[in-house]
Amino acid sequence: MFSWFNKKSSAQTAKDRLTIAIMSDRTNNSFPFLNELKAEIIEVVKKYMGVKKIDIQTETIDDMEALSIDIQLEK
Amino acid sequence: MGIVIAVISGKGGVGKTTTTANIGLGIAQNGKSCVVVDFDIGQRNLDMILGLENRVVYDMVHVMDDGVDVKQALIKSKMSPNLSFLAASQTKDKSVLNSEKILKLINSLKESFEYVILDAPAGIESGYEHTIEFADKAIIVVNPEVSSIRDSDRAIGILDSKSQRVKDGSEVDKFLIINRIDAKMVQSGEMLKSDDILEILSIPLIGKIPEDRGIIEASNQGRPIVLFENSKAGQAYKRIAKRLCGEKVDFVDVESETTGFMQKIKGIFK
Repeated sequence: MFSWFNKKSSAQTAKDRLTIAIMSDRTNNSFPFLNELKAEIIEVVKKYMGVKKIDIQTETIDDMEALSIDIQLEK
Repeated sequence: MGIVIAVISGKGGVGKTTTTANIGLGIAQNGKSCVVVDFDIGQRNLDMILGLENRVVYDMVHVMDDGVDVKQALIKSKMSPNLSFLAASQTKDKSVLNSEKILKLINSLKESFEYVILDAPAGIESGYEHTIEFADKAIIVVNPEVSSIRDSDRAIGILDSKSQRVKDGSEVDKFLIINRIDAKMVQSGEMLKSDDILEILSIPLIGKIPEDRGIIEASNQGRPIVLFENSKAGQAYKRIAKRLCGEKVDFVDVESETTGFMQKIKGIFK
């Protein structure tokens, strides 16, 4: 409001901040069911063999979202 | 069978209840049978906005838990013969809600009304998930303000993962209402433009409501603002109601409307 020539509007600042905040909210919340998924996978694998540990990682590569599931078996 | 529309928001206080009352009455004025249901258990408010607070005998929880017939609990509005209202419980808390009972209630309302409009609690509260569970469509109400927009994105995320339609492999139609737009502030760059909000949330628009002092006066009287012919907000809600009834209504650009001094000057030359 005061320096007309070199300052961007507060609405533009709001837009920029929101774009980033929402993008990061979305990546953090994109798999809210991860724990349930984990428990169910353990149940399925257990039918066939012993499971020691299961680890699920989410990755974003460019536009692709990937889940990598790492299952450690009991010896 | 009627369609179920949930009116939702991320945070509270953005005008959800006012929106529910006005689109409900607007739809009824268009000749369709409509029931508005207050799902904000423990924070009953829709009855005040509709001016029906003295006529509530039975509420939603009486119907779901105590075997009261839904027809006994419904209150017919005097403002339109097509509009009915079902109150929220004031004494119970949101934990009384459960999916089975809600589905039963909603199905019985769908049999008698063309439109079933649900006034949801805010998206971060419990009870929100139950309101959206059986909705066919959702109307998301935001204010042009950062916290409202951010929280609404989270509420939309919950909608996309918890609704029955999504679980069945279908979709919930989502529409955005941008409420409380101050044209002057948008023009001077102090308030987010609607286009920017639509770009951030990527949801189709169903209407823009200008800031209107008349809203307070309307709520003081318990008469929704669609009843006030000269109100800009009232006209905006009427357009939304028509769109919901399937009419094609042109969008009015409430952001570029001139106000105050400039309008007076233009008025002279008219």
